Amino acid sequence: MSSQQDDLKETDTEARFEFKKEEKSAFQSEKGLTEETVRVISEDKDEPEWMLERRLRALEQFQEMPMPTDWPGQPDLSEVDINEIVPYIRPDIDKRGGADSWEDLPEEIQDTFDKLGIPEAEKNALSGVGAQYESEIVYQNMQERWEEKGVIFCDMDKAVREHEEIVREHFMTKCVPPSDNKFAALHGAIWSGGSFVYVPENTTVEMPIQAYFRMNSEGMGQFEHTLIIAEEGSEVHYIEGCSAPKYSAFNLHSGGVEVFVGEDAHVQYSTVQNWSKNTYNLNTKRAIAEKGGRMEWISGSMGSKATMLYPSTILKGRGASDNHITIAFAGEGQDIDTGAKVYHNAPDTKSTVESKSIAKDGGRTNYRGLVHIADGAENSSTAVECDALMFDNESTSDTMPYMEINESKVDVAHEATVGKIGDEDIFYLQSRGLDDDDAKQMIVSGFIEPITEELPIEYAVELNRLVELEMEGSLG
Amino acid sequence: MSTKQIESLSEDTVRRIADERDEPEWLLETRLDALAALETAELPDVIQTPGRRWTDLEALDFEALVDPLNQADETERTAGDDEAVVLPFTEALAEYGDVIEANFGSVLDPEHNYLTALSVALFTTGTFVYVPEGVDVEDVTVRAEMNSRSLFSQTLVVAEESSSVTILESIETGDGEAAASAGGDDRYFSNLVEVVAGENANVQFGSLQNLDDDSYTYSLKRGVTDTYATVDWIESNFGSKLTRSDIETELDGDGSESQIVGTFFGTDDQHFDINARVWHQAEQTTADLVTRGVLDDVARSVYEGVQDVGEDAWNTSSYQRENTLMLSDDAEADASPKLIIHNHDTEASHSATVGQVDAEDLFYLESRSIDSRTARNMLVEGFFVPVLEEIAVDEFRDDVEELVLKRLQ
Repeated sequence: MSSQQDDLKETDTEARFEFKKEEKSAFQSEKGLTEETVRVISEDKDEPEWMLERRLRALEQFQEMPMPTDWPGQPDLSEVDINEIVPYIRPDIDKRGGADSWEDLPEEIQDTFDKLGIPEAEKNALSGVGAQYESEIVYQNMQERWEEKGVIFCDMDKAVREHEEIVREHFMTKCVPPSDNKFAALHGAIWSGGSFVYVPENTTVEMPIQAYFRMNSEGMGQFEHTLIIAEEGSEVHYIEGCSAPKYSAFNLHSGGVEVFVGEDAHVQYSTVQNWSKNTYNLNTKRAIAEKGGRMEWISGSMGSKATMLYPSTILKGRGASDNHITIAFAGEGQDIDTGAKVYHNAPDTKSTVESKSIAKDGGRTNYRGLVHIADGAENSSTAVECDALMFDNESTSDTMPYMEINESKVDVAHEATVGKIGDEDIFYLQSRGLDDDDAKQMIVSGFIEPITEELPIEYAVELNRLVELEMEGSLG
Repeated sequence: MSTKQIESLSEDTVRRIADERDEPEWLLETRLDALAALETAELPDVIQTPGRRWTDLEALDFEALVDPLNQADETERTAGDDEAVVLPFTEALAEYGDVIEANFGSVLDPEHNYLTALSVALFTTGTFVYVPEGVDVEDVTVRAEMNSRSLFSQTLVVAEESSSVTILESIETGDGEAAASAGGDDRYFSNLVEVVAGENANVQFGSLQNLDDDSYTYSLKRGVTDTYATVDWIESNFGSKLTRSDIETELDGDGSESQIVGTFFGTDDQHFDINARVWHQAEQTTADLVTRGVLDDVARSVYEGVQDVGEDAWNTSSYQRENTLMLSDDAEADASPKLIIHNHDTEASHSATVGQVDAEDLFYLESRSIDSRTARNMLVEGFFVPVLEEIAVDEFRDDVEELVLKRLQ
């Protein structure tokens, strides 16, 4: 095992995710959502007029749209009251748009992210790190050599000011319009922070770019926006991590991710989500892939009270492809409703979905996925595989795939299995001297291994650690 | 969703239907309750995804389709064996009124949805099958012709302990005078089937629908199993412009089993909305859902399969497979196989595929100097083999094969 892996393993993950800091903020908007709130956010950020207009239009759409309640078996959202959420908190930092050096940050924020291991991760050869604390990016750095090549990695607020043209063209216009769903509209109205990534033509960013989002205040909403534009022939890997400490009130995370995969470009987007178990995680993530473009979504959903997240890819150009890898782990009181959506809108497009879910202690997982093959998308193929593992009888594991095939020259396959942890397997491991917990942990690790194998190493280690954490001592 | 109220329907209509058949009071009451339920009942659930409603039942013009007082059918029933009772529903009421009253609606709530309520309020035909304890009957056949604009049918199968029965039902459009007089217009056929399988009973219910292309068909068949009982379904849909078919089994008894085999073949602008659902509610239950369909021209299919494993369903085995073969570029196929699992002591799997005739297979046959049309037809026939093999009754299998061949010509 490499020393890098050891480092990550030694960090006490539980301590990293459970601690919380005293709230200390420069500006906090009133609870609830009114036009006034939106204007205040926009003004505080010194935004151009067009962005304010977009926010107000999104707000209008949010107010018009009903809460989604009629999805079969969907998580209970009745507790989500937007009036109880503080949409925007600016941490107390001097410099807008993030400090350039780690040492410039206020100590308590440094401390928070130290515990999360952010600078550590940077040292371990990530090409850029952005960390978002509450609503704004507090630290961002991009290694010089990427900057020279024209790669941009900055916080979204800064991008609105400094890369106005390109943001204006791409921000919630073609990929995730606010009208897409109620929470996308909400996001459009009060988004704050997030990352902007621009990779010029034929440029390969060899090391992953990483962003970390964290909510530290109670009753907090986080609405970060991530916009990734990968020009023709470029390649980039973006890693996003999320967490929040536990409080009694609920938090809401309603992020928006838009990815533009240019011709023959390749974008990989990885997420480790470990929001505290009072967080509603209602995200909209979408990519549009041009001719020959390749999109990869890798998601690990461990945290949150309820997650409704279906990263989607629109395969727009001939020969574009899409891979989804998702792992969902639902423990006590958690409802992880996640999956994938793929629209095959051009010939010769390919997609694969691999989903693994684990439900225990009364948790619920659901794979909800949609594959749509449009008329004319000849020679397209899609393969969806879902495997679920259940620990006990209080838990629930659902699989709800939807396939819409409007083209005959296709190859469509969906497969799913649900199984239990075999008593024999456990007995065997115990006979080799492992205790019950270790045996189960080992079986779970084996279950998700085909997926962790495909992950970047830091990510796989992190995910394994989280799974171990979820498993610890909780089994009868 | 607001459902359509049919103006020409009244309590009076329902009373007339019941009076003409000399029905007992309880049945009239049941019909009237069902009629009253129409006001609030909803159409059956239909899958909806962003921008796409998989089947549009709301577009059906029930006002024009439903003509309750002029229902006509010609139905031939063979009992296969003297020991079993196979009677037209109305006739059976006189002698088996108690058995019917005890079981009617016990499996399928008449007020389940708008279409079931409508059907119970207005049915004029159907069959009652009663298999006493320990009796073993093969070859019960019910061959029906529909001779009116609308026809509502209600079938009840009661299989007592350790009995066994195989039932084949078919429906097609009649070519008699009555049918011709209603011709040219759209038709509506509604078929509700309840199966009560007692302890260790074994019921196989096969159904073949081949109505003409002016027809709209709604069919809901549901069985409940007692301990060690088996209910197997074979559902073949070839006819109708639009078919909504639901096959459901509640596995209530320990060690009980159900198999649902489905076939469909759509041509022209036919639309099939095929649903297979199983609820595992007891220990050691087994379900196997197998559906295969072929689509040609601009035909469209919608498939939903549900395997629901309840909290008490220890040691469940549940399998589901669905395959659709597309013969035309303009056909469309939607599928949603669902797993709902509340008990971890479960082995469950499902799979669904959509594809076309394998190019290599075709090439191989052509290289053996078989022309491409014949080669394709051979492969389509072959595609149906796995489901045909599940059909134990020769007569039924022959019928299905014949209909497949006819469509391939």
